[in-house]
Amino acid sequence: MKQRPAVWATIGVIAFGVVWELFVRIGDIKPFALLEPSRIVRAIADDPTFFLRITWSTAWHTLAGVAIGLVLAIVTGAALAAFRPLEWAVQPILVLIMVTPWVAYISSIILLLGAGLPTILFMVSFVTFPPFVFATVLGLRSADVSAREVFASIDASPFDVFWRLRFPSALPSIFTAARFSVGLGLAAAFFAEGGSASSLPGLGATAARTRLDQTLGAPVLWGSILCSTLLGIGFLLGVTVLERKLLKWHPSQRFTIG
Amino acid sequence: MTAGIHIEGISKSFGTLDALAPVDLEVQPGEVVTLLGPSGCGKTTLLRIVAGLERPTTGIVSIDGGPPDTARTRKQIGFVPQSPALLPWRTVEANARLLQDVNKVSNPRLLPDVVDLLDQVGLADFRNAYPHELSGGMQQRVALVRAFALGAPYLLMDEPFAALDEITRAEMRHLLATLCEPLNTAVLFVTHSLAEAVYLSDRVAVLSVRPGRITETVRVRLDRPRTPDLENDSTFFAIETRLRHLLQEGAER
Repeated sequence: MKQRPAVWATIGVIAFGVVWELFVRIGDIKPFALLEPSRIVRAIADDPTFFLRITWSTAWHTLAGVAIGLVLAIVTGAALAAFRPLEWAVQPILVLIMVTPWVAYISSIILLLGAGLPTILFMVSFVTFPPFVFATVLGLRSADVSAREVFASIDASPFDVFWRLRFPSALPSIFTAARFSVGLGLAAAFFAEGGSASSLPGLGATAARTRLDQTLGAPVLWGSILCSTLLGIGFLLGVTVLERKLLKWHPSQRFTIG
Repeated sequence: MTAGIHIEGISKSFGTLDALAPVDLEVQPGEVVTLLGPSGCGKTTLLRIVAGLERPTTGIVSIDGGPPDTARTRKQIGFVPQSPALLPWRTVEANARLLQDVNKVSNPRLLPDVVDLLDQVGLADFRNAYPHELSGGMQQRVALVRAFALGAPYLLMDEPFAALDEITRAEMRHLLATLCEPLNTAVLFVTHSLAEAVYLSDRVAVLSVRPGRITETVRVRLDRPRTPDLENDSTFFAIETRLRHLLQEGAER
């Protein structure tokens, strides 16, 4: 039989949806606890503009936050890769940021920065910053030793070495970090939107409002959740496409037998 | 100003390990000198010291009267490492142009045309290819062009053909001789191949086992331009045999 991964993936998703639908109907589960997939899809189909608007808003929050985190991480990573003592000094702080559950201190951040956009952008960039820094440092250091000597043989400036050699060498590990950072960033955006309870549109803010005001209904809550799932898939696809385009030279992006 | 490369009493120790005993050597402008020795004898270390990539424990290197660091800053050194060290994200032409693009303010000369050089080494049709699309020999040809594209008066080559098969290796030494001869470029070439040493050099400095010292310098009196049929010549064989004996003697010391 011919191998068709896409067909099997579709069958898997449909089967999962059917089991879910039957589980909710037969088990008579409360809508806020779990809603049938058919009702979620219907809710989105009934008001696509609304869901598109809040999804777009969360997408923008996530992308802006991840971009800020990434740029700061590249600058920091370049400094850490250049000075070992600085890396030793900063590494424990980055580990602390990574291992501390950010949901635990988000209310304090809201107190500090106020409800709204600053908190959301801070949270997204804050949680994505450490993995990007580690990836950048590792990638910058992995630049080919012989190529570094070729650059040194003509006394290339630190900027030339960074821009023409080290940064492109770091791209594969930065993309690996991006794969899970977008998911992390989306979760942070969703939670920060909800936690800040601001009037901003967004999937997290909408989901939070349905919990406060149950007249909005479970379909809106579950519609927001499904939209965030689709947004996460969209982000991953975006990273993959960008990776294929920018890293076409890298062995990971070349399809060979074996 | 003293033209050429002058190596005086250069030695190198790594901790308690003596890699290189004091070495004296000169490379005149336009001269091709080979450092021939067994693996681990310190010939690469000596080359890296000349290139300014390693500091000597004792001794002085001067290139055109100045320290290697000045020669590096002035882009007077075309360095070819053991592996081609091409940047996989740049095309063949962009790789060949790399050293011209970097540190542009130090380009003091009229630079050679990269496209012409690629044509000379038979890569004109591969200008837009990426390194992974090339064979090992082709990649090393790009690395040679990258060094030649600097138009530098000194080329330092660290066993650039060591990873290639014998046939490709022979092609590469023939090609290198063809590229070098019209340019009057001085070359310091590291190898453990006798055929490469004889075919390319004006002089061969034979190094003993670690800590490396120059046991003898052999002048290669073969006409230029060198052509591949020279490798069947009795003089070629005679020099090769002499070098082999010197290497064996060096290994027994």
